[in-house]
Amino acid sequence: MAVRTETAPAWQRGKVASWLVTTDHKRIGILYIWSALVFFCLAGLMALVFRIQLSQANADVLSPQHYNELITIHGTAMIFLVVVPLLAGFANYLVPLMIGAADVAFPRLNALSYWLFALGGAILMLSFFAAGGAGQAGWTLYPPLSEHQPGSGIDLQILALHALTLSSLAGAINFLVTIHNMRALGMTWMRMPLFVWSIELFAVLLMAILPVLAAGLTLLLLDRGISFGPWDVQTHFFDPAKGGAPLLYQHAFWFFGHPEVYVMVLPAFGIISEVLPVFARKPVFGYKAIAASTVAIGFFSMLVWAHHMFTVGLPYSLQAFFMIASMIIAVPTGIKIFNWLATLWRGNLHFDTPLLFALGFLSIFVIGGLTGIYLAAFPIDWQVHDSYFVVAHFHYTLFGGVMFAIFAGLFYWWPKMFGRTLSQRLGKWQFWTLFVGFNLAFFPQFLVGLEGMPRRVYTYTNESWEGYNLASTIGSYVMGIAILLFVVNVFRTSRRGMRVGNDPWQANTLEWYTTSPPPPHNFDDLPPITSARPLYDLRRRLRGERGERAPA
Amino acid sequence: MTPESPNAENIRNGYLFITAFTFAIFLVVEALLLVFIVRYRRRKRPRFEDGADVHGATKVELAWTALPVVLLFAIAAFIFVELPGIKDIPKATAGQEQLDIKVTGRQFYWQFEYPNGAAAIDHMRAPAGVPVRLEVVSPDSDVIHSWWIPALGGKIDAIPGTTNETWFKASKTGTYSGQCAELCGLEHARMLATVEVMPREAFDAWLTQRKTEQDAGSGELGKEEWQGVCAKCHGLGGQGGIGPRIAGAPTLVDPTALAQLVRNGRRTMPAVGSGWTNQQIAALAAYLKESPPSGG
Repeated sequence: MAVRTETAPAWQRGKVASWLVTTDHKRIGILYIWSALVFFCLAGLMALVFRIQLSQANADVLSPQHYNELITIHGTAMIFLVVVPLLAGFANYLVPLMIGAADVAFPRLNALSYWLFALGGAILMLSFFAAGGAGQAGWTLYPPLSEHQPGSGIDLQILALHALTLSSLAGAINFLVTIHNMRALGMTWMRMPLFVWSIELFAVLLMAILPVLAAGLTLLLLDRGISFGPWDVQTHFFDPAKGGAPLLYQHAFWFFGHPEVYVMVLPAFGIISEVLPVFARKPVFGYKAIAASTVAIGFFSMLVWAHHMFTVGLPYSLQAFFMIASMIIAVPTGIKIFNWLATLWRGNLHFDTPLLFALGFLSIFVIGGLTGIYLAAFPIDWQVHDSYFVVAHFHYTLFGGVMFAIFAGLFYWWPKMFGRTLSQRLGKWQFWTLFVGFNLAFFPQFLVGLEGMPRRVYTYTNESWEGYNLASTIGSYVMGIAILLFVVNVFRTSRRGMRVGNDPWQANTLEWYTTSPPPPHNFDDLPPITSARPLYDLRRRLRGERGERAPA
Repeated sequence: MTPESPNAENIRNGYLFITAFTFAIFLVVEALLLVFIVRYRRRKRPRFEDGADVHGATKVELAWTALPVVLLFAIAAFIFVELPGIKDIPKATAGQEQLDIKVTGRQFYWQFEYPNGAAAIDHMRAPAGVPVRLEVVSPDSDVIHSWWIPALGGKIDAIPGTTNETWFKASKTGTYSGQCAELCGLEHARMLATVEVMPREAFDAWLTQRKTEQDAGSGELGKEEWQGVCAKCHGLGGQGGIGPRIAGAPTLVDPTALAQLVRNGRRTMPAVGSGWTNQQIAALAAYLKESPPSGG
């Protein structure tokens, strides 16, 4: 693979063309990250628009249709075009480097994954211009509502999701084959970086759940009716008037939908497990416990889907089962939280931006996790389900949790990817602005949810909800400023960022052994791998050879 | 939000019970985090000096695996103890017979049907101190809605093809409000519901009166239908909203055409009155004749 760039035909060597035809996992990773960041800004802007509509009671800024389109695409995009691809980007960039490989197992399939993702993203965003507008049935696409919407918005949403599903499926296969077969000599399972462990589970879960989503969506598409030349196909899987069952779709969707949460959360956990030890100057506390809890979370995440369906009238025995299964997940999650805390204990903490975001993640994710217990306890869920309490809960896990971890990862690996560090000063400003804005935006939503405000309403008449909503709106704009600071930071860094060497953070894992950015073939040679921290071992040995005293 | 029915109260107790644990864990984690941040910051140590060479501690890790198990067990046990008081409708006693009301969620209104055949839209009346059992449904041609009056208990979905049930028993008179909790289309946000709990005698009187008026095709029902069923899309004055302007439209004063329209719908307008009785339609026609929409 190292020689490919040399032998590439002339037309492929241009500045743009080389990115379009690339099969280098690092370039594909960067493509994922850039594209996802663009979608992040777009989907974030959608939220800023509908937050204006919600800032006061009986507002008239958006029509109900536009409001429903915006929340639908905001949700779908944030999950499928932002969080998952950002993590896929990190996985693409880092997995081969972390295991000492030259590329992923199937580089061309990897490129296909990215381009399917780009295609799906384009379809979803352009569906705003479809006849009848974009999808208006929420990211969950529940029938019969999604079957009743006229026009082609829903069909395009389904098409986009199909493309994204294929993209993720191909990506998942690639990661699995890579991790299982291409680890460097000496890198046993128990010496694998915890981020790679999280990608292993990310891939296993995606392969298990995506086909179910694809099936559910296909049935939905057939129910909506499609024409192939002379043939019209119109099924009734979810149409009760013809003996179908709307709940069947919900089971298929959430069988995918809940593990999907862990598809997003586990790699974020992985990032935190990489960042904390480096900035605490300690080994991660309880490597085996963290790896095992990753596997446990992955397993149990497949057994909890119906906790999204506690209000549909399931038998109580089933609700009890799903409550207990959901609560069990709190145990391995708790293990991780306490192990991370213990990683800080007796450390030598240096508060660079990656650590700030990682600590922010810890402090916020705890709230996201604990509020999940209310939702798992099914009679409590009958009260809080589909209220703003839920909206607050999943933003605490997915934004306060996963996005904070992603920012920790971006600040941490940026020097490796681009050879320059992001400005620490701007990064710290961004962190504090985002931390304050986030809590201001989402904490009031717990309260207004408990007061009885349902989610997905384009307006409300109850004026006692206005204060909470106004706070939320202000918070969302503060978050917008924080993201703007990040954008400024990225542009400034690209021209004036401080150049760095191979290993600016004195880190532990193999990606820091090679140059920043790494050459196309990644490594000329590898250090011996005798533990989960090969670079730490290497530094120690070199110090020993130079006769220096090992630091305490 | 103050619970006014035993099921809502038991849910609140469960909520508070869980909060005792979650708040304690929250405090412990955030406190440890802050203490570690302050205590183990770098100070004057060299930037890359190693911290303690601690790789883990199996016993401690087992402890923080076991402790959450115990806490969650306690929470689950409490939930199971509370459950009957939340899901089971209290037994009717002499003089407090259970009242059954059929709740139908439709785009974008709630229809209530009482045992004597009386109907109401969006505003339910119920007697104080009596267990009220709600049968919650949605027509096959409609979409999923969710019945939710926070003060009177948790929500239950109204799903086409399925019959669900819930209940409340309010001891205090008063009006409790709620709204549809499952995205059901453009006017989901306007699908509000109120439950007016009134003294037993007043309720009985109202129910009889409503039934008599309804049989005569007159009374308050027509107004409720206009406001709850028509006006959410066409505006209170018929001036138009997500639906077209209908003030002054000849259909409104032609009972046959009106019946045809609400029963079958037209283009994007759903069949909002499919399944309505002739009296229900007569009540709407009578109201529109008496006070035709002003046009805004």
